[in-house]
Amino acid sequence: MELTPVLRSEWLKIRTLRSLPGALLGLFAATTAFSAIAGVSGTSDPGFDPLFTALSGVVPGQIAAVSFGAMAVSSEFRSGALRLSLAAVPRRGRWFAAKAAVIAVPALLVGLVTALAALLVARAGLGPAADGLGTGEQVRGVVGCGVYLMLMALFAAGLAALLRSGVATLSLLIPFILVVSFVIGDATGTVADFLPDKAGQLVLRETYDGTLGPWSGLAVTALWAAAALLAGAWSLRRRDA
Amino acid sequence: MTSIEVQDLTKEYGGKRAVDGLTFRVLPGRVTGFLGPNGAGKSTTMRLVLGLDRPTAGTATLGGRAYPTLREPLRQVGALLDAQAAHGSRTARDHLRVLAASNRIPDRRVDEVLEETGLASVARRRVRTYSLGMRQRLGIAAALLGDPEVVMLDEPSNGLDPEGIVWIRQLLRRLAGEGRTVLVSSHLMNETASFADHLVVLGRGRLLADTPMRDFIDARVQPSVRIRTSDPAALRSALARHGHDAVEHVDGHWTVHHARVDDIGRVASAAGVPVLELAAEEGTLEQAYFDLTSAEAEFTTQPQEA
Repeated sequence: MELTPVLRSEWLKIRTLRSLPGALLGLFAATTAFSAIAGVSGTSDPGFDPLFTALSGVVPGQIAAVSFGAMAVSSEFRSGALRLSLAAVPRRGRWFAAKAAVIAVPALLVGLVTALAALLVARAGLGPAADGLGTGEQVRGVVGCGVYLMLMALFAAGLAALLRSGVATLSLLIPFILVVSFVIGDATGTVADFLPDKAGQLVLRETYDGTLGPWSGLAVTALWAAAALLAGAWSLRRRDA
Repeated sequence: MTSIEVQDLTKEYGGKRAVDGLTFRVLPGRVTGFLGPNGAGKSTTMRLVLGLDRPTAGTATLGGRAYPTLREPLRQVGALLDAQAAHGSRTARDHLRVLAASNRIPDRRVDEVLEETGLASVARRRVRTYSLGMRQRLGIAAALLGDPEVVMLDEPSNGLDPEGIVWIRQLLRRLAGEGRTVLVSSHLMNETASFADHLVVLGRGRLLADTPMRDFIDARVQPSVRIRTSDPAALRSALARHGHDAVEHVDGHWTVHHARVDDIGRVASAAGVPVLELAAEEGTLEQAYFDLTSAEAEFTTQPQEA
């Protein structure tokens, strides 16, 4: 079987379920809205990082990206849907690769547009406080943010295939994201730096300390996503449909 | 033409054998009814044929090839396993377009099968608005999508209205007439008798019978003759003289067991018994099936707790 028809079919699946494009729209709306709020809020914090402040809408907004990845996979684990899909495409590894691709590409594109929009609206609010930001840093922040959102969607997709449930995936990931972000907070130098969301979010910062930099942090998130996808693919290939 | 070959097929789930050393072939050009009580292994066998579950032992192939090795499998094998498989938020047409795209089947064919299954007018409605009967039709449309040589349907008459039942019967006959291989599971005996040429019967995962339907019935149910007369005494003595065992019913007709209508007609005529009604009573599939499975039924009716 060739890959192209499988990709077309999987892309059609994403397009024809209203909730999935809806989740991507939610990603854009939530991220830009929270970034806009962050832009007009106070900048008196001594650890103020204008790039992270501008892109901070991603922290809540990523829940939409995670939901997109989880739901795109979990829609296959409802009454008999997987059997129908695998009867049409019995090569399971190929099928799952196509599934991951049609999650990754829209998540990346919407992530890039979202990050750019978030940066622009937040800078409008921040005004001169963000004037110190260089072009290179801003490009890195926007590109890194798009890649980060794609990786989080893929991480959720892999977990959903492993757990065979969107509800289980989201009830694991959403508290995890919220706990890591708000309880551990800005503390660095711990093992928490290597958690998938914490590591990847370094790319959103103008300044950073600790063992990981922006790109190596993103690579850590990529490793998490790859591990989840491999575990999902392994489960899919091994288990009865 | 492609047949389904099942060879020494065994599937265990957690130590319990759902399918136990099955060997049979489903041949093209006829409708094969796949019978057995719930839990006999019919659906499991179909999943094993489609490569969805892995067998514990043995093989299931289509024209000698394992399903997962087929290139664009929907063009060779069409299956209905579960009418609930379509996502409720998709329209029926989108559901079929998704399947068609994966096997490079043109969208024109999607509209054809929607027309054929009577769903064309509701094709752009979301599947969640569909009745069970409409979902069954959609599942059948999906099975026919690739114009396959092999068609496997698991309980296709479920939820269909009387019109739908007639429709599926005609559809199955036509598919077999076109030389396709048709395997249809059911637990409705009268329904199966109306379309099947051949039977494969399972009980507790094992093969109980693999025979033409007519042979299956004739081997298990003795034919009898129904006769009505205005002179019961003459009939009784005439039958007794020829060694026939007859039972008189309250409404006045008689049943002569283990007899052929030709013989009873001659006996009555020779004895000058006035005959008001004379008919052969052929055995039904249901009688034959219960004769076979009475000792095999795994799930007997349990008293329901209130």
